[in-house]
Amino acid sequence: MSVRILSLVFSVVLLYSVNAQEKRDSTRTTELEEVVVTGQYNEQSVDRSVFQVKVIPRAVIDNLAANNLADVLNQTLNINIVPNASTGKSGVQLFGLDSQYFKILIDNVPLINDEGLGNNTDLTQLNLDDVEQVEIVEGSMGVQYGSNAVSGIINIITKKSSIHKWQVTPYVQEETIGNEYGLFDEGRHIQSLKIGHNISDKWYVNGTYTRNDFAGHLGESKGQFYELNDGKRGYEWLPKLQNNAKALLRYTGGKFKAFYRFEYFDEEVSRYDSLVRTNLNSATQTTNPTASDEIFNSQRFNHHLNLSGKLNRTVNYDASFSYQQQKRDVETYNYRIRTKEKFDKEGFEYESRKGFYSRGTLNNLFTNDWSSYQLGYELSIIDGYSSSLAGDFETNNIKRRLESYDVFASAEYALNKRLSVRPGVRALFSSKFNPQAALSLSSRYLFENGYQLRAVLGTSPRSPNYDELFTYFVDINHDLRGNESLDPERGYSAFLHLKKEFWAEDSQWSLKSKLSTWFLSVDDRIELTIVNTNPLAFQYNNIDSYKTWGLSLTNALSYNNVQLSGGVSFSGQSKTLESQMEFNDDYLYSLQLNGNLSYKFPKWNTVFSAYYKYTGKQYQFFQDQNEDGDVIFIKGEQDQYSWLDATLKKSFYNNKLQVTLGARNLMNVTRVNTISAGGGAVHSNPTSSALLGYGRSYFLKLLYNLNI
Amino acid sequence: MKITIKLTSVFLLFILVSACSSDDGTVMQEDFVVAFENPSMSFGATEAEKDINLVFSTAATESGSIDISFTGTNAVYGDTEDFVTVPAAVNGVVTVEVASGAENASFVFKKLKDAVEGTEKSISFEISSVNLMGGMSNGTTATQVAFEETAALGGNLAPEVGGPNQPNQVYVDLSAQNQTSINREAWDLAFYNGDEFRVAINGSLYMAVAELDETNIDAVTAEQVADLQSSVAVGTFDAANTVYVDMPNGDINGTAIQEISATDTENKVYLVNMGSEIGTTEPEAGSVSTSGDSRGWMKIRVLRNDTDYTLQYAGLDDTKHKEISISKDAGFNFQFVSLVSEGVVSVEPEKEKWDLNFTVFTNEIEGFGSYGYSDFVTTNTMGNVSAYMINTETISYGDFTISDIDEATFDADQRAIGSNWRNGGGPGTLPSLKEDVFFVVKDGNGNIYKLKFTALVNESGVRGYPSFEYALLQ
Repeated sequence: MSVRILSLVFSVVLLYSVNAQEKRDSTRTTELEEVVVTGQYNEQSVDRSVFQVKVIPRAVIDNLAANNLADVLNQTLNINIVPNASTGKSGVQLFGLDSQYFKILIDNVPLINDEGLGNNTDLTQLNLDDVEQVEIVEGSMGVQYGSNAVSGIINIITKKSSIHKWQVTPYVQEETIGNEYGLFDEGRHIQSLKIGHNISDKWYVNGTYTRNDFAGHLGESKGQFYELNDGKRGYEWLPKLQNNAKALLRYTGGKFKAFYRFEYFDEEVSRYDSLVRTNLNSATQTTNPTASDEIFNSQRFNHHLNLSGKLNRTVNYDASFSYQQQKRDVETYNYRIRTKEKFDKEGFEYESRKGFYSRGTLNNLFTNDWSSYQLGYELSIIDGYSSSLAGDFETNNIKRRLESYDVFASAEYALNKRLSVRPGVRALFSSKFNPQAALSLSSRYLFENGYQLRAVLGTSPRSPNYDELFTYFVDINHDLRGNESLDPERGYSAFLHLKKEFWAEDSQWSLKSKLSTWFLSVDDRIELTIVNTNPLAFQYNNIDSYKTWGLSLTNALSYNNVQLSGGVSFSGQSKTLESQMEFNDDYLYSLQLNGNLSYKFPKWNTVFSAYYKYTGKQYQFFQDQNEDGDVIFIKGEQDQYSWLDATLKKSFYNNKLQVTLGARNLMNVTRVNTISAGGGAVHSNPTSSALLGYGRSYFLKLLYNLNI
Repeated sequence: MKITIKLTSVFLLFILVSACSSDDGTVMQEDFVVAFENPSMSFGATEAEKDINLVFSTAATESGSIDISFTGTNAVYGDTEDFVTVPAAVNGVVTVEVASGAENASFVFKKLKDAVEGTEKSISFEISSVNLMGGMSNGTTATQVAFEETAALGGNLAPEVGGPNQPNQVYVDLSAQNQTSINREAWDLAFYNGDEFRVAINGSLYMAVAELDETNIDAVTAEQVADLQSSVAVGTFDAANTVYVDMPNGDINGTAIQEISATDTENKVYLVNMGSEIGTTEPEAGSVSTSGDSRGWMKIRVLRNDTDYTLQYAGLDDTKHKEISISKDAGFNFQFVSLVSEGVVSVEPEKEKWDLNFTVFTNEIEGFGSYGYSDFVTTNTMGNVSAYMINTETISYGDFTISDIDEATFDADQRAIGSNWRNGGGPGTLPSLKEDVFFVVKDGNGNIYKLKFTALVNESGVRGYPSFEYALLQ
């Protein structure tokens, strides 16, 4: 609470100093070409890249007043954010595959979390305050990024330089959570301070601190002090308090560059059980309600040292060394609601991952006019831990070290001025699994009329998770086991992108268009399988497969002060479930649309932006029986929904003060219905609903830029 | 600048104060509520004195006293009269001291003269005042003491199932307000005392039996039955596996072992899956661990010997069997035999002296075969106990009176209570007490009680601590 007082005081101070500082700073408008890092030999422009990299620039992050990755990604095509209200986590679903198939990196290094390295990331734990841009590559990227990069990767590029000697950027952001807001126990409260300093021409340092207090969303629930057992105790969205500190030191010499980045993250999530034990005293007819609650405390440390430079005139190297740790502790206790008394208090480690990671490449090897080569290695030694509360295991907890040693090589051939191809291969060795291979072949063709065609083929394996490996749920009625001899799943993808930029002769307007199509498949999918019918026993096995294909068209128009973009994506998914007795592997199709409008009012230093995304009905097969007792498949559907965010950003005093006023989730989405049966079904299967949002919310952000 | 900060803090203070006052979690000063533990008590022929217990809603925060007044029906207080109390009554009031920190109190009732046959003789005690800060009486504020054995008016009971491993089977007699507990592993086979010659197995250990084609028990080997063994078990999710367990409704004609024939050659050898030992691991709070290691396999054959049973039994590979002779006793539903202690053991109270049995149970899920249940409650259908369930949407427990009883609804299935008193739970949710149902139970003597479960777990959420309250409908 004192922090909040400080921050308010701080904003008052801030307003003061704005008035005091009337020093004019020449606004530099540097029209930079969009530059990407992901999957490149050298940092290069989007157009030169053989990969199709989607970029979410800082401006969009600012327009959305996005504090974490979940805030920004729900506007992206093909991505669905899947919040889990009971754990407070938000995962990502890309091409219908969950976050196990998807890797998140910061500056090319996969980010650790309590359930994995890079995958299974909770998007809400990724603060964006020191981020330059977010790069998204769809498709299997096993050669570049190893295992678990099946559906794609997100590479978060942090800010590592400044044109100012000193740059001090504090901000406060106050947000409602749905219609709930209060200065202390409701709403979302963010305070942040970022300081950057160019020590000399060669040395740059910055530091960021952010506090994000998400007070939870009650909705129909009634909070932790509610004492009736009608399912209404607790929160619909769990309260969460995050502290995040980051620092970066960068050296830029002539032939040698280095940076060291440090991050500390801390999060407290409180879960108040909805189940209340009344503890009726029959004699006195009095009650003493109790409940079993949990407080989760996560801590993440992340050290990253990166060295890069030139060995000779062409060959450059880039090496990263990282030590990371994320640990989630839990405090479980019973709570006497009326007297607010905790008892049976116990604290222990819930889940964790920690370890060393390194990745290095030698680029532009043997370079000549038409070819260059890259050689690289990637290794990680990760110690994992999972307590018995996090899963059903045969032993009380799982401790496991997973060592991975990968080498990879790729070549880029410019066959002629128009055609370049880049084949790549990676060998993955691990202490737990059989050796795997990943392959890639990317090519780019530049047509004479400005059309660019890219074809990208790639593969990546997905390693089995702890549940799949170690589950042990055996009692008189059940026999369900993990399988330590599972192989990684195998993912393949093929993408085709056709791009063209149109512009007016007088540069009044420009239009970027992109047409993409893809096919993605996961074989040897791990699924629970009946391994014995009498007695019935289940085990995880590599048995199923998953296929998806789709088409998308995106357009971005820029005309004077207007930026307009729109996209449409149509995709189908098919599941072959050999693990079931019967299955239906027909493709089920769904549609997504998105659009964005930004308008700049130069006179008023104001930008208006609106972001819209429509997610069409999604379908899934459910097994049922008809009148004759035959197995039939019913197409269950999840309702369509739209996400609309709008903001107004106004700058005062030469950009020194920025005020952003906005609304999230203007369509007021909370839950969508999931209907698992059609009209003619024998059984009327229940309608359930999936929680997506907490309703329409508003925010106000005050940001101050002090540049010296 | 300074002024601004000062102003801001004043402003903040103001907000703070107003924010706190709107906080809905204000602690209610709880009252100190006193009640009698039970609304009635009666004396058996040989009993002379009993404690009358008082329970508190919370521990006493200070010392004080409780005044209890009484009125007698054909009974008078005094050393030479019908009864006295300790502490003694002064001017018709018994004053019970309450020590600081105490959670209950009691006084002694001494019966001096028995009731005369045919006349009611009883004392009604009532809490007249609670002399402690915030003290009051509520709930069972009066209790009736009968001088001869009378059906209890109701009360509350916490059957000692024994926690999350649920090691005990607990027999409850509602009218006598008592419970008898026996370790589940104490017995294996139950020999019916009624007219039929039937043998039941111990479903609380998840036993299962299969009839073999053999009549010579010594000829059966483990090798012969090896193929059968994976099927002869509970919870195999095979709809046909119910033939290996007793019919869960409690019908004696539905035992897995065929009726014992007077013709020995018709009595086949049975393969016996002895089920599971009682679990020993401590599960997460809210879960159970009822089954431990396998108790192995045996073979048995049962014969009739006039009105007695002869049990032949041996280990699976033994070539020489042993025998136990079991005589029927009409006072009990069954005679129980342990194959471990190799003899007849005492398990159930007499058949008229129990109504409900709290036990781990082998039930059936239709279409999926036998399935093990914990927290199960069976009714003593052989002792003519029956029950049915009522949803509180129809009528509340408090409002339910004798006139609401629907005689036709009483269920002769021993699972009338079963597991209907709890929510089953599922992935991610633990089983919990079902608070919107209660039961009507009719005992063998025609006493009808309404009965409501008040707990499935203890205050800390640990399973295997059931409790219920009940009241005689009259």
